[in-house]
Amino acid sequence: MFDLTVPQQILDEMIAEARAAAPHECCGMLAGRGKQVTHHYKIKNIVAAKAEAVKQMFDDAKIVHLEGLSPEERADIAFWMDDKDMFAAQKDMRRQDIELLASYHSHPVSPSRPSPTDIKALALYPDIFHIIISLQESKPVTNAFRIVDGTVTKISYQTT
Amino acid sequence: MVKVRIPTPLRPLTGGKNEVEATASDIQSMIESLNGQFPGLKDRVCDDKGEIRRFVNIYLNEEDIRFLQGKDTPLKDGDEISIVPAIAGGAHPHERSA
Repeated sequence: MFDLTVPQQILDEMIAEARAAAPHECCGMLAGRGKQVTHHYKIKNIVAAKAEAVKQMFDDAKIVHLEGLSPEERADIAFWMDDKDMFAAQKDMRRQDIELLASYHSHPVSPSRPSPTDIKALALYPDIFHIIISLQESKPVTNAFRIVDGTVTKISYQTT
Repeated sequence: MVKVRIPTPLRPLTGGKNEVEATASDIQSMIESLNGQFPGLKDRVCDDKGEIRRFVNIYLNEEDIRFLQGKDTPLKDGDEISIVPAIAGGAHPHERSA
């Protein structure tokens, strides 16, 4: 029994997007009904423009690390979904009567599992799944997780 | 009366409702009204100084209130407000190749 079903075409689009964005991280949202993803929303990564907000959200060690980087370099190791894109995507979901089911983002050079920052920041969304596309190896790895109160659970998904 | 869209992470506080109503003249009083109906909601939206958290976006109709008057933005009957927490995260910097 799978927790989520993602059309292969959407997964392929997400991987292509991750490759195109590398070395920066890409990010986006998946929506649908029940366990079936039907829609894919590509969202701009605006972490470079969110220095102040990042300070509030990210852990101390990471802040020091982020502040030592240029805006472009920050986008290599972090993402922040563009507020306007997110609002537009959620408006479209309401119009289509579908629900946000998952977020996704890429890890250009690190594994397909939540980082400490992911665990902290994505905890705001315990009811959706979080897919991480890793480009660390030549073959992309995409795992999906649920993150609740600091606990990460890998979930199973299928492609159709 | 204004309509407020509640994001998934806050729905446990609203008994699962994705839309609620509030009687409020501005965003600040809307937050207080919501907190009266759903205790704990203000702490999720505002920091300990009462300022709206930077990772919480609030939209009045189609506009981000940061580009209006922030928490002093006036409201009128029939307005639609959306609360949209940011989705953000990071990679594993210590595993980043040089």
